[in-house]
Amino acid sequence: MVGMSLLRTAAAFTARLNPLKRTCQSSNLLSRTVARSEQVVVRYGSHGKRMFIIKPTDFYDRRFLHLLKYYILLAGIPVAALVTFVNIFIGESELAEIPEGYEPEHWEYYKHPITRWIARTFYDSPVKDYEKMMALIQMEAEKAEMSQWDSHMPPGFHPKYLKLCSEDEQSFYRFGTTWGQLQLEVRRHMREKGDGPWFQIQTLDKNLIDHSPKSSPDN
Amino acid sequence: MPKDHDKDVYPEPPSRTPVEDRQSSLPNPALILSKLFYYSVDLPVTTFRDIVEGIQSGKKSHYYHQKFRRVPELTQCQEGDYVCYYEAEMQWRRDYKVDQEIVKVIQERLRACQQREGPSYSQNCYKELQQFEQVSKAFQSRYGDLGAYASARKCLMKQKERMMAEQQQA
Repeated sequence: MVGMSLLRTAAAFTARLNPLKRTCQSSNLLSRTVARSEQVVVRYGSHGKRMFIIKPTDFYDRRFLHLLKYYILLAGIPVAALVTFVNIFIGESELAEIPEGYEPEHWEYYKHPITRWIARTFYDSPVKDYEKMMALIQMEAEKAEMSQWDSHMPPGFHPKYLKLCSEDEQSFYRFGTTWGQLQLEVRRHMREKGDGPWFQIQTLDKNLIDHSPKSSPDN
Repeated sequence: MPKDHDKDVYPEPPSRTPVEDRQSSLPNPALILSKLFYYSVDLPVTTFRDIVEGIQSGKKSHYYHQKFRRVPELTQCQEGDYVCYYEAEMQWRRDYKVDQEIVKVIQERLRACQQREGPSYSQNCYKELQQFEQVSKAFQSRYGDLGAYASARKCLMKQKERMMAEQQQA
């Protein structure tokens, strides 16, 4: 063991004193001190030496991220501020039992004040939507029912249309009318009492039309 | 502050404050952590909530739960009365939603019970287990495989099939 450490020190010694690799030839070969050169450590007044670092461009990436942040925050900050102020200063509603004899408005079934405002300002009440749907269904059902009349039943016997007519008209309708005759009757009524441009625009008398052959070049 | 949960439905075991038997002179870490949590999280949050409630204390608006009247069901509608069909369909959909929420509540109770009792849940939560089984079987038999386009008519047809199967067995 002692021999090993002696060998190791001898090897280090010869490596340092190697004549093939001698860097300096001054008198401090046998000592362990470092050579003191005349170079002084440079102390910069700025942030160090300016380097020209060559790397691929990040202009487009940084521009994209900048624009992304800009456009998100442009609407995001006002919306966040609005929601914060609504939650702090107005606050959510509390659940309560419906008082006797009181019918709450349709927006009073929601908790958050912004939801309530949307329901009050923009949406119809669900009751109204329900009624609208039922009205549509009833109109379609009536149309479906009426389309079945062409095939089998004369329309004159339908009680709904009978009570719209006067007495003598009722007697007219009870005994044999076709759907086409009823259509003409309806159009006559609409022309007299109805509204809308289709029925009120004045047209020429139909008797002036010449139905004889070769009356117009296209016949 | 919002209400706490129902203490009867989700019972907690009685708390047992242990008799303190300090054998070391080191500080109690549980106490340190609880105080840390209190001062860093609990106190700021509570004071903020109190400030906000102080701002809002004047005008309080209310919201209500909507009560719907019962309308005739699909079986009580005349044939061809599409308006009656529509009202029955809407009522069936509301009932479907209510039943889904009922099943969720029963599930939540069973889950809480299992969490409370630990490994011996099959013995201690027998009531909740039976309730859950009954409710889920009923839900499955009524609304089970109706799918996403479920409607009152399909549910009625499923009921008819069920009754026919029962009759054939009997």
